[in-house]
Amino acid sequence: MSVNTVLMSTSARLRDRRVTLERRVTASKAVRTSLVSLAGLIGGPVTNQAGEEVGRVVDVVARLYGPDPYPPVTGLILRIGRRRTFLAADAISKVHAGHVRLRTARVDLRDFVRRPGEALLARDVLDHQLVDVDGIQVTRAADLYLAPLVDRVVLVGVDVSLPTLLRRLGPRRWQARPTPERVLDWQAVAPFAEQATDGPPEVRLRASRTALHRLRPSDLADILEDLGRSERQQLLGWLEPEQAADALEEMEPAELENLLREAAPDHAARLVDEMEPDEATDALRDLTPEERENLLRRMPTGEAAELRRLLTHREGTAGGAMTTLLVTVHRDENVAGVRARLAEQAEHRTEIDAVAVVDDQDRLLCDIALFDLAVAEDTTRVADLIAWLAQFGLPVTVHADTPLAEAADQLVAARASSLLVVDDVDRPIGRILADDLLDAMLPERGRLHFRRFLQ
Amino acid sequence: MTRDQDTITVTNPPAAAPVRRTGWRRLTMVAAIAGPGLVAANAGNDAAGIATYASAGSQFTYGTLFFMVLVTIALVMVQEMAVRLGAHTGKGLGALIREQFSLRLTALAVFCLLLANTGLVVSEFAGIGAAFELLGVPKWAVIPPAAILLWALVLFGSYHWAERIFLIMSLAFFAYPIAMILGHPDWGAVGHHLVVPHVEPSKDFILLAVALIGTTVSPYMQFYAAAGVVDRGAKPADYPLIRADAILGAVFACVVSLTIIVATASAIGGTGPLDSAAQAAEALKPVAGQNAELLFALGLIGASALAGAVVPLSASYAIGEAAGVERSVSRSFRDAPLFLGLFTAQIVLGATVAMTPIDVIQLLIGTQVLQGLISPIVLVYLLVLTNRRSVLGDAANGPRYRVIATAVVVGVAAMSTILLVQTVLGWFGLA
Repeated sequence: MSVNTVLMSTSARLRDRRVTLERRVTASKAVRTSLVSLAGLIGGPVTNQAGEEVGRVVDVVARLYGPDPYPPVTGLILRIGRRRTFLAADAISKVHAGHVRLRTARVDLRDFVRRPGEALLARDVLDHQLVDVDGIQVTRAADLYLAPLVDRVVLVGVDVSLPTLLRRLGPRRWQARPTPERVLDWQAVAPFAEQATDGPPEVRLRASRTALHRLRPSDLADILEDLGRSERQQLLGWLEPEQAADALEEMEPAELENLLREAAPDHAARLVDEMEPDEATDALRDLTPEERENLLRRMPTGEAAELRRLLTHREGTAGGAMTTLLVTVHRDENVAGVRARLAEQAEHRTEIDAVAVVDDQDRLLCDIALFDLAVAEDTTRVADLIAWLAQFGLPVTVHADTPLAEAADQLVAARASSLLVVDDVDRPIGRILADDLLDAMLPERGRLHFRRFLQ
Repeated sequence: MTRDQDTITVTNPPAAAPVRRTGWRRLTMVAAIAGPGLVAANAGNDAAGIATYASAGSQFTYGTLFFMVLVTIALVMVQEMAVRLGAHTGKGLGALIREQFSLRLTALAVFCLLLANTGLVVSEFAGIGAAFELLGVPKWAVIPPAAILLWALVLFGSYHWAERIFLIMSLAFFAYPIAMILGHPDWGAVGHHLVVPHVEPSKDFILLAVALIGTTVSPYMQFYAAAGVVDRGAKPADYPLIRADAILGAVFACVVSLTIIVATASAIGGTGPLDSAAQAAEALKPVAGQNAELLFALGLIGASALAGAVVPLSASYAIGEAAGVERSVSRSFRDAPLFLGLFTAQIVLGATVAMTPIDVIQLLIGTQVLQGLISPIVLVYLLVLTNRRSVLGDAANGPRYRVIATAVVVGVAAMSTILLVQTVLGWFGLA
């Protein structure tokens, strides 16, 4: 490349860069002038039509949990002299950066009573924990931005940046000026407001909640671990029990133990019930006998009995780590039928790894891996599959009291991804999956965490 | 935690994590069962703590014992309040301060914590330097590599093992109780000074008294204890046990401190202020004889290295928590700039200051004085938070407790203020 082309392309790049920067500055200026910083508004003057100061802003009330995508401001809490009163939003003419102008000289002042879904933005939301659904993390609101529309004021975004925090430490002049550095759209956060009375059921339809429902269980587990006690329970309440249960399965045992303890017993029982049996057993094992009984009593009898039986196996044995979810078939079925049975169990896809073939006395004949089912013809009979699989040897099984280390050796020797756990007369009672073995046997890895000092 | 007979008889470890525990793990488990209260309180017995206690013994023999009893009561109350907040809210102290106070007051609290902690980090590196000087290695050759090593250990993950080695090394300080008995102190005088108040109206005495408060009731301990309780996932129902742990931890830590004072007092009492680590090692002679210096150096290296990692980490966690930013040592600098930046800055600053040719023992005690001055500020936050029913509900301080706790905070604050006034007057030649 000649020097000339290099120079040209550099200057072109520089020009492009300048254009983008200018565009960004214009855009951010436009945004900046249209946004009103909540932090800057608090303590700011409220003037009447004539421009006389009526009082000072103490807090802004918004309907946080309502049908609107962006929470509308429903009023202000003012300090007039030494009195605190509520001023309904319809008396507001304009909200500027740092001050509020009213539309009338006469204002109707009342005592503040919280209506459904309402929250005090400065007291309940600003500086409190919230879930950033896009960034998938728990963060704190450094500032909230209000946007004055034609007929009302709505809450549009949350600033979570450090410079904004520093701005708030500065003099009042700085505080009123929005610094949209890292602003999250209100739709992309799940805020908590402990005091707020929850709104109507359509709250569940809100964008952030739907976004929450799309989170992966492990991400949700991380978020649950980072939240404070009351926030955690609120978030759990918003989730469907199935989704919550998936997240609980991913949590650190100590955190899970804690979460189950602090949840309302009925809710906790429901969550444990929704968890996969092996994970549920692990969780229950960490609780005290009374706490465990308390939860088991609130579960459907069948599930409770199942869990009770699993709990009799010791931790560190195959029985303690196995899942009792088994798909068993008989030798006279055909592959299409087996596939149909598997399709019914789609929700347990992570727990099913093979299909156990049993005889009339429920004794194990063969263990067919999903791969072998996938490559078999629809019309193939299970019996034929067994005959074909016989060339690879008998299925490897372990007993419930086999130590996990031994089970792992067996698994490696069998070159399989799961092992059947059988009772004394060779009837399958559960399955131990490779990932559960890994979980149980891997030393705690990863880097140093503060909590390691304490655990 | 609440575990009854039934679960104890099962061979599972109480933490019930699904990991196979090795012998080493089991050993640290023993330390961990002791609980956050114990860990937090005993973290006070680090390099700077040992220097302060030993100095108290050498300078005033048994004169500071009664004061230490008062400090013990203060520590018990303060730690109890910290774990109560953690257990009932599930949040650390940094987060609670941000939610309950204005941002400026939060910044003040965080600034105080950072200042006090950086002072502590300086003293930890000074401790490492002093320990190696006892073994004949100059400190300039030791402190920079030690700082880099600790920083890398924490950030790049192999800290796990190092932590245990440091822990074992710091057990050397448990030789002090034995040294105390073998040193044949004047038990009568010890008993007398434990119960009868004794105050010397000298500046040195007040300075040392504030240092004793500072090293025993360090601001970071409250943050650490609350965070520890949250991390262990204690719920309000576990609170009686958490409280017992916090109280026992505080009392235990103070008993160890007392034995250090008594041991030094009987070995080198009355010889004036401590001026070298070798003197502090002197008190261990009854146990280790000629190897006293080696034993002391081992303990000092272990305790300093352990605290040298824990202290800056705990400040970074508390501040990261208050700011609501990402905080984990497994993140990159791009993901967690504030957290990792603070951690790095504290270590760099600590090591750099510790390198300067200053009197190490005076520096260590000076750090504790700084802590003593900052403690009251953090204690006020703690007191206000535990008084608030909106935070703790029924677990908030009752009227009687409130009076006693306020008295403790005022007492600590008064000591600090007296010292501050004296120092300022000293600058103008008035005291």
